[in-house]
Amino acid sequence: MFSLLIFVPLFIVMLINMPFGGIRKSAYILAFLLALAQIVFTLLAFFTPLSPLSSGRQDILGNFFNFRIGVDNLTLVLLFCIGLTLLVTLLTGREVVVDQRQRFNFVNLLVIAMAGLNGIVLAQDIFTMYVFLEIAAVASYILISFQKGILALEAAFKYLILSAAASVLMLSAIALLVLVSGDTSFAIISQALRDGSGGFPVKLALGLFVCGFAIKGGIIPFHGWLPDAYTEAPAPVSIFLAGIVTKTLGLYTLIRVVTVLFGQAAYISQILLVMGILSVVFGAWMALTQNDFKRMLAYSSISQVGYIILGLACGPGWGLAGAILHILNHTVFKSLLFVNSAAVETKTGTRNMDQLAGLSDRMPVTSFTSIIASLSAAGVPPLAGFWSKLLIIIGLWQAGFKLVAVIAVLASIITLGYLLSIQRRVFWGKLGSELLNVKEAKGGIMISAVLLAAIAIGVGLAFPFIPAAMLNSLSSLLGG
Amino acid sequence: MNSALLPMFWPFCIFVLMILVIGFYCILVTYNLIRALIGVELLMKAATLLLILVGYITGQTALAQSLVITLIVVEVVVMVVAAGIILRIYSHTDSVDVRDLLKLKDKDKTNA
Repeated sequence: MFSLLIFVPLFIVMLINMPFGGIRKSAYILAFLLALAQIVFTLLAFFTPLSPLSSGRQDILGNFFNFRIGVDNLTLVLLFCIGLTLLVTLLTGREVVVDQRQRFNFVNLLVIAMAGLNGIVLAQDIFTMYVFLEIAAVASYILISFQKGILALEAAFKYLILSAAASVLMLSAIALLVLVSGDTSFAIISQALRDGSGGFPVKLALGLFVCGFAIKGGIIPFHGWLPDAYTEAPAPVSIFLAGIVTKTLGLYTLIRVVTVLFGQAAYISQILLVMGILSVVFGAWMALTQNDFKRMLAYSSISQVGYIILGLACGPGWGLAGAILHILNHTVFKSLLFVNSAAVETKTGTRNMDQLAGLSDRMPVTSFTSIIASLSAAGVPPLAGFWSKLLIIIGLWQAGFKLVAVIAVLASIITLGYLLSIQRRVFWGKLGSELLNVKEAKGGIMISAVLLAAIAIGVGLAFPFIPAAMLNSLSSLLGG
Repeated sequence: MNSALLPMFWPFCIFVLMILVIGFYCILVTYNLIRALIGVELLMKAATLLLILVGYITGQTALAQSLVITLIVVEVVVMVVAAGIILRIYSHTDSVDVRDLLKLKDKDKTNA
């Protein structure tokens, strides 16, 4: 019944826009329950055995709409991340988006984006995937600019133009795949690609896909829109974008199409390796020079996404398992850092780190959770980020990319450097006189920060007890 | 696949490529937001034409038609949102010129 994950959000959007009295007031609660339901549903599905890509399972709604969906472990990880990020975004949005009308629009757009993201993850047909991708992207353009600040509008327009160019590249690639295989479903395309010799149209399609997904995912050299969009979006939207949107739009699609559908050729590994290492190093380097809290986190996001790309470049094995785990971990710690930035921004009214200092006494929970997130991002054991980075680096070493592995380890030191510089400039030091009245963030922000920090610590501590078979199943079914 | 038609694919593709090049050129050189939007529209048209062409070559005209109709709907949604954003920008700056925006571009320079 996984198609419910697409239909229920759409139904809820229709329901809360009905002209009945009072239904608008319950919009927030409904969306919150939806996010919780998705997390519970995914966890239940994860701990009951599932055959890989069980697209043939009984799915009445899916059959009715002639709608091919499939579920595997990668899908479940992404679905969990979508639910978690949505929950955190809603909790933070409650504190940040105070105007009732704006909050109603915000909830509507989030639920539409959620339907789109779930659709991307579940789709078993490349054109269906494209349509859902466009739904999620359109919802996020509006989410970035719904408070109508001029900077946010500029960022949204930039994102829109680049994203439309990416769509065109992807559509051309889809057309070429239809030329080769005569259909748009993954099963038939992959069959045709395996039978055929892989002529020029296939290689062209592959290149177009890689460029398109790299634009959507904000991978260097296609990252132009990402720092602006993350910085200028309202605080909860930044969490949503960094936490899941670019990951699903860019990285999940990259894994599904390039690694699984095409079967990874050696030259694609080389290209991914170059893009990954550029993203890791350049993202970290740019993050070092920023004064804006959120802009630094945005560049850090590019750098962390680079690690995921490096994991993909290794192909099936430890590297790919590490990449998928790093998607989960990055969702957790980057959402947490953006939650902390939202707390600091709402309580002090500024994001400029030069004007902030010594907040750790005034905001102990925010300070503590942001240290957890920073250490997890930098890959300090025993936090969750350490294990996924370890797997990626082991994968790189085994695949013979030893120099890249060394650079990746060194870049992790730069990561620790800029994240600790956030701690030093925002939370440590002497409290400025104008910040004396700052209080700890309350309610939703606090709950989501504690929740995410608990997950980061919990996954890290529980990781050694996860059976190796589970990790193998993460990567092996993708290779097949 | 109708192999008799396959040699016709690449010559027809020249037209698609021409529209693509015009679209990208339009986005790259203009300072006008609405012209940039028209450039995006041209790009989408090139993709639509390619899908139709592929449908014709492979004989899958029904599939190509359904894809193209869906694509047109998606495109309208994107364009409406883009036009809305441009309207809002116009109400802020009283112009649709890119050079009146560019506030975000300097952010990295001033920080560095």
